[in-house]
Amino acid sequence: MASPAIALAFLPLVVTLLIRYRYYFVLFYRAVLVRVWKDCVTGLRREERAFQYVLTHATPGDPDSILDAFDAWCSEVEFISNIGPKKGKILDRLLSEQSPLTVLELGAHCGYSTVRMARALPLGARLYSVEMDQSNAAIAEKVIRLAGFDDDTVELIVCPSDEVIPRLQSDFGLDKLDFVFMDHWKKCYLPDLQMLEDSGLLGKGSMILADNVLFPGAPNFLRHVRRCGLYEWRVHRATLEYIKGIRDGMAELVYQGIK
Amino acid sequence: MPQDHLITTENDTLAYGGMVAQWLAPLPHTKVKRMTLVVNVRVEEEEGSGAEKLSEGKWGKGEKARKTERGVEEGDAKEKHASGGGKTGENKEAGAKHAEKDKTKKVKEKKESKVAETSSEQGSSEEDEPEEEGGEKEIRPENLTPEELERLKVAVDDRKKLIQILRGKSWAMGKKLTMLRESLQFIEKYEGALGKGKGRRFYAYKVMMTKKWMKFQRDFENFKTACIPWEMKIKEIESHFGSSVASYFIFLRWMYGINMILFGLTFGLVMVPEALMGRPYGSMPRKTVPRPEERTAMDFAVLWDFGGYAQYSVLFYGYYNSQRAIGWLKFRMPLSYFLVGVGTVAYSYMVVIRTMARNANETGGGDDNSFNFSWKVFTSWDYLIGNPETADNKFASITTSFKEAILEEQESRKDDNIHLTRFLRVLANFLVMCCLAGSGYLIYFVVRRSQKFALDGFENHTWWERNEVNMVMSLLGMFCPMLFDVISALENYHPRVALQWQLGRIFALFLGNLYTFIIALMDAINLKREEEEVIKFNMTIWEASLYNGTVLTNSTAPPFTVEPSDVPRGPCWETMVGQVKFVRLIISDTMTTYITLLIGDFLRAVFVRFLNYCWCWDLEAGFPSYSEFDVSGNVLGLIFNQGMIWMGAFYAPCLPALNVLRLHVSMYLQCWAVMCCNVPQERVFKASGSNNFYMAMLLVILFLSTLPAIYTIVTIPPSFDCGPFSGKSRMFDVIQETLEADFPPWFGKVFSHASNPGLVLPFLLLMVLAIYYLQSTSKSYKAANLELKRKLQMQNEENKKKNKRAALKAAMDLEEARKASSPSAEQEGNTTSQQVQNDRERLHQGRNRDHPPSLRDQDGQSDHTKAPAARNHHHANNGASGHLSGVPRQAEPRMQRIPGAQRH
Repeated sequence: MASPAIALAFLPLVVTLLIRYRYYFVLFYRAVLVRVWKDCVTGLRREERAFQYVLTHATPGDPDSILDAFDAWCSEVEFISNIGPKKGKILDRLLSEQSPLTVLELGAHCGYSTVRMARALPLGARLYSVEMDQSNAAIAEKVIRLAGFDDDTVELIVCPSDEVIPRLQSDFGLDKLDFVFMDHWKKCYLPDLQMLEDSGLLGKGSMILADNVLFPGAPNFLRHVRRCGLYEWRVHRATLEYIKGIRDGMAELVYQGIK
Repeated sequence: MPQDHLITTENDTLAYGGMVAQWLAPLPHTKVKRMTLVVNVRVEEEEGSGAEKLSEGKWGKGEKARKTERGVEEGDAKEKHASGGGKTGENKEAGAKHAEKDKTKKVKEKKESKVAETSSEQGSSEEDEPEEEGGEKEIRPENLTPEELERLKVAVDDRKKLIQILRGKSWAMGKKLTMLRESLQFIEKYEGALGKGKGRRFYAYKVMMTKKWMKFQRDFENFKTACIPWEMKIKEIESHFGSSVASYFIFLRWMYGINMILFGLTFGLVMVPEALMGRPYGSMPRKTVPRPEERTAMDFAVLWDFGGYAQYSVLFYGYYNSQRAIGWLKFRMPLSYFLVGVGTVAYSYMVVIRTMARNANETGGGDDNSFNFSWKVFTSWDYLIGNPETADNKFASITTSFKEAILEEQESRKDDNIHLTRFLRVLANFLVMCCLAGSGYLIYFVVRRSQKFALDGFENHTWWERNEVNMVMSLLGMFCPMLFDVISALENYHPRVALQWQLGRIFALFLGNLYTFIIALMDAINLKREEEEVIKFNMTIWEASLYNGTVLTNSTAPPFTVEPSDVPRGPCWETMVGQVKFVRLIISDTMTTYITLLIGDFLRAVFVRFLNYCWCWDLEAGFPSYSEFDVSGNVLGLIFNQGMIWMGAFYAPCLPALNVLRLHVSMYLQCWAVMCCNVPQERVFKASGSNNFYMAMLLVILFLSTLPAIYTIVTIPPSFDCGPFSGKSRMFDVIQETLEADFPPWFGKVFSHASNPGLVLPFLLLMVLAIYYLQSTSKSYKAANLELKRKLQMQNEENKKKNKRAALKAAMDLEEARKASSPSAEQEGNTTSQQVQNDRERLHQGRNRDHPPSLRDQDGQSDHTKAPAARNHHHANNGASGHLSGVPRQAEPRMQRIPGAQRH
């Protein structure tokens, strides 16, 4: 039987852990506990609640106000892992530098990043947005239309990404992707990237941007990128969306092809 | 690979390999590649711009220049091919054939340059063959004509020169390596053949011997380095983790050295003589395990706590006998014991202070604050880093430090909420104080409880309760620094300042723990002494009864038939202090350190590494991650451990031995743990400067730990029945005794006169005065140094200004002269180049419009001073272009920048 004094000596450790990882506790609270609680209380899904909020607080046809409404909801009410305003700025900058004509988005979730990207695209560009979940895709569709983007600009594909990518060439008539944004399951980053490499859709200069490579993190993806030598790459360091204490990063890859 | 760092001989063949390796090592591969690329481009530009004269140097030709000459040389090669073929055939009568020395030489050079090329070109391989054949024949020096010898000599010299300048070449790494290897082979092959006439053989012999000697020297250097303990390990760690982590290991090694000497002193002068010449075990009560303990004296649990047979051995104070001289050597045991105790402390003081003084010399009185950004730009890289990951970290840390410095600079301009910062700092200090008070109270509480347990007898309590004090102290020492670290995030200090605060706080914590411990120790000593009084009284009664018993029986047996283990004895507080307190504390501390290492570092690393395949987030980059090596904590731990040793070494001669063992093990264990399960620190800071800080702490601890030891030695009378000083009223009486008994009487008289206060006080006064004098002179020297430095700086600036003025004036004069002479001639010559120039210039203007004029001016100036030829050229251009396009005169400085633009 250990004595209480020895147990007391562990108090500084506990306090230290509590303080040091407070952001993770906050994240756990907001992303899991609040969500479960609200799900039980309202009977709606989280995305639906977000959409309701956006519908009541944003101006239809104005992408900026829709994004602002999303940001407000995510930082004040509940948590959804959108790309967020800070990392969104990086995304905007890259898009305006690159001005791509064919853009593929993997993981639309509820349409935040789709609206964000569609907003920054040049005239005549086309954005293919892939979402696996049926109901999320429905919400995303509504949000996109609410922001005023039509079928010519944004095409939403409801299908798992690993099924879509091989069909892109045949079904959608694409021959080259200028920009790919990945924000779906972190486990799928690597297989999808390899599939893209194999399909021949990536040309020299194609840019791939992968969100959340540090937290929750896609180590295998990063390892592959580092080793294969096909890309010029860098990681933009930032913090996790809507929670400022957790470090996260976006990986920016520029396809160089086999030299 | 690190062995190559040691090689110092320059002219040796293998040394070059070492040099190249050494030169490859500090940069990660990718960076080397990039850098060579840049250099290549620059050189090509230079050559393209018409520095054809540069290609006079045979090896200095860039790829491009050579390619342009390829056509010309092709013809040459054909011709030479024929001649080469002839040469192989008629080697002996070659004299007439090579009358045109120049030409053949050129051919040879060309051949060699071809050899160097990595591109597998047909022509080069063809051309190699005759060379090879010729070489095989030429190896016999007797067959060579003087011309050939001359040529050979030149070629060998060229090769040597090439090897020397190879480093600065702008070639790809692979090419450099092949070049180096081939040149080395060439030299190896032909150097011996270069002697003249009869001395040729001797010359070859001499060359061979020189080589052997060099090799021997190099091997000897390597051997010497191999003799420095752990040098290789530390170098390897340094290359992976930067110099701050390595500084810990160097400190550890230094500590190990000191402990070795302490150990040598106690072992050689105290323990061994007692074991060899002292009275054997069992001959006296103090050298025997008492009867009630005999049953368990050999149990492992008892021995592990240094009880039982370990307690009644040379390892502890109580075992020693008070006999004045032991053995046939008449070794003065008590005196030796006392002097060794004093000597270890004196030696430690000496070493620490000497090291501090040496370190203080190394840190020059430079001002760190005035050229903040320049320091950062030019001195932040740690050239000992040899690991790509560490290099990345270092790179990132330099970048962040830049960002922070810029932010700091901005923040120092605008005043932010100073009240909030102050409040937070006060709050943080308050929290830390609370934490310190809490931990102090906890230790106090535990110590009190343990005294209660001690009164009850330890046997009635569990292991946890018996080791409560040590456990609590170790745990607090481990966890409180973590808490301080977290709290210090509130304060928003600069990292360096924050590190000092952190060290100060940990120091306060450890110090508090140490002194709580000492207070408890004093209490325990007093308890034991009361007990001793009682036993002393009982002893007399017991002896009397014994005496009475023998008288009554009136037998012929010797008067003392009692077994030594049955004799009642005092508690011997000295052994208690040494054994119970210090040795156990050291052991539990060591165990805690190792267990923390295993769990906190190794198991964590295993967990992170292998569960990362099947975990829902990235363990390596995310939450648990790998641990970093905590330099400050480890150094402090080491220092306080050493303080314990200094405090307890007098009562337990085995302590230095234990510490040597501990340091030895922890050297290997920590080296392994660092390389195996730690990652380089994110915030890699330089070690220089922190060393003396550690030393100062060590000195403070040394002082604080010798204080109680000296106090106990001077004030508390030794136990009556154990230890070398038993029977004396004070421990230092042994000195007086020696003086009286072993020295002639006049010596004692002199000594007593010398220790007279009337003499000692003036002496002390003199010493104080001398110290004061030395200090003030050193201060004035320092001031003079600073003054001199400032003067140098001033003069330097003055010179710069003067140069600038002169250059400006010269430029003006030149301009006027140009204007006076006809500008039309140049105008025609340079029209096309001017066109280009103008375009560039326009571009440049657009880009640099927001530059302050002073900067531009200065740039122009630097160009003036560096390259007068270039200046002329460009001035001509500028003047002309100004004339052409009608740019007004004021645009002059901007135009002067053009050469700079080209260079970039």
